[in-house]
Amino acid sequence: MVETVLIVGVIASLFVGFNIGGSSTGIAWGPAVGAGLLKKTTAAGLMTVFVFLGGWTVGRNVMDTLSGDIITIEISLAAGVAVLFFIGLGILIANVFGVPVPTSMTTVGAIAGLGLATGTVNYETIAWILSWWIVTPIIGFWIGAFIGRYIYPELNRRVGIENSPGPLLTFDRSGGLPTPALGPNTTYRELVSTIVVLIVGCYMAFSAGASNVPNAVAPLVSSGALEPNPAILIATVAIGLGGFTIARRTMESVGGELSDIPLLAALIVMITASTITTVLSSMGIPISLVMGSVMTIVGLGWGRATRPVTVKEAVAGEAGESEIAMGALTAEETAGTQPRPIGEAERSEVLDARDLFNPGAIIKYISMWIIGPTMSTALAYGFFVLVPGIA
Amino acid sequence: MGFRVLVPMDDSEMAERALEYALETHPDADVTVLTVVGVPSMLMGDAVSLALEDDLDEASREHAAPVLKRARAVAADHEQEIDTTVGVGHPARVIVRDADDYDVIVMGSHGEHSADVTRRFLVGNVARDVFRRSPIPVTSIR
Repeated sequence: MVETVLIVGVIASLFVGFNIGGSSTGIAWGPAVGAGLLKKTTAAGLMTVFVFLGGWTVGRNVMDTLSGDIITIEISLAAGVAVLFFIGLGILIANVFGVPVPTSMTTVGAIAGLGLATGTVNYETIAWILSWWIVTPIIGFWIGAFIGRYIYPELNRRVGIENSPGPLLTFDRSGGLPTPALGPNTTYRELVSTIVVLIVGCYMAFSAGASNVPNAVAPLVSSGALEPNPAILIATVAIGLGGFTIARRTMESVGGELSDIPLLAALIVMITASTITTVLSSMGIPISLVMGSVMTIVGLGWGRATRPVTVKEAVAGEAGESEIAMGALTAEETAGTQPRPIGEAERSEVLDARDLFNPGAIIKYISMWIIGPTMSTALAYGFFVLVPGIA
Repeated sequence: MGFRVLVPMDDSEMAERALEYALETHPDADVTVLTVVGVPSMLMGDAVSLALEDDLDEASREHAAPVLKRARAVAADHEQEIDTTVGVGHPARVIVRDADDYDVIVMGSHGEHSADVTRRFLVGNVARDVFRRSPIPVTSIR
């Protein structure tokens, strides 16, 4: 009986890990694959290796939190399997409807739902996790906004990320040992930038492993049904499988949207998000890569879009008098020097980048991340109240 | 200045039908096609890529080019000329703000942003928002 339950549990783990592999490979390698710097299979291979390293090292802290700290009792094997089904359900909903649901949030929500139903919630841990969930997107947004406003334009001028046709490196085999040399069109700058993109992708894969490996297996580890080491291996295999299969699609959807933004900006976002995720994971806080990434992206765009006005004015949503005069001046200049293409109507006002990030839209955007975990907590709570035998 | 018709367009086929209807119903009017770029999405990719550009006007026109090209092709089929214009950000907001310069809006009842849940949540039902807030009459194409 126990074996059957465990097998069902492992299958649920594999399903969760498989889907995590699909989505996080898309985020970590989408930009590099989109830029044509490496093949999808190479990306999936690197993903698997670094997910394992992340899960094996830093991920153990998150594993401890999920399997032991959120509720005061251990999660029984049956309850763990049920929790995994809720995590899987969350992922399924995310896939079917295209709504981004951070897996770490769903996991904590489902375990907390179990705790609420059995009266064993460790409120101190939940409060600690929640406070970091609130602070993290703010930190990401702030870092993004700071870089977007003050550093990005200068960085963009200095750093050119190039990608020439032809192989990156050629190997001279005339001697005894093959000697690598730059490819026919390769510049040193290109070689360096390609290496940077690869390192950043590996870093992101590492942080994905640290934060996401525990999501797939922690509910089974808690009862001791599965030891942490084989659990990490199972999760790695599942995530790797997802990376080699369904990630082909997510690299085009999620990764495709990431590759809309310039590679330099994508790299800034990836470094920031990976660092946030790795640091929080080492503190044992369950966090999804996507939470850090998204707010850093929005912050970067917002910071750049609002650069002509001071932060205070941008937050208040009003530009000073001088700004409006400036805008009018620029508009005249543009109309004078650059005639609009034929068939282009005269606009009564110039385009304003601030319209891309109005406060209402950002609030709506953030609320999207609150709905997911709330739903998973409510569903799991309802289930464990209705079926008390399992908990 | 003659009768001015504003046709907001996106990638959808419905938008193309709205333009056809506008051209057929108002053959002597000045028809302007408006398309909005940098629309909110799951990772804000389009909006952020525009924000990071040095020249927002030029980048916006580039992003809008595919839709505007199709609009011109439809107009050419009807042997009529159209004006085109580009806005950034939230479609309904831009359309309503621009509406003051026109006599009527002709638009599809639902567009590409109704396609998935995330976009519907972030962008909303553009046609419905325009009906509610537009200062001028709105014709909806179904």
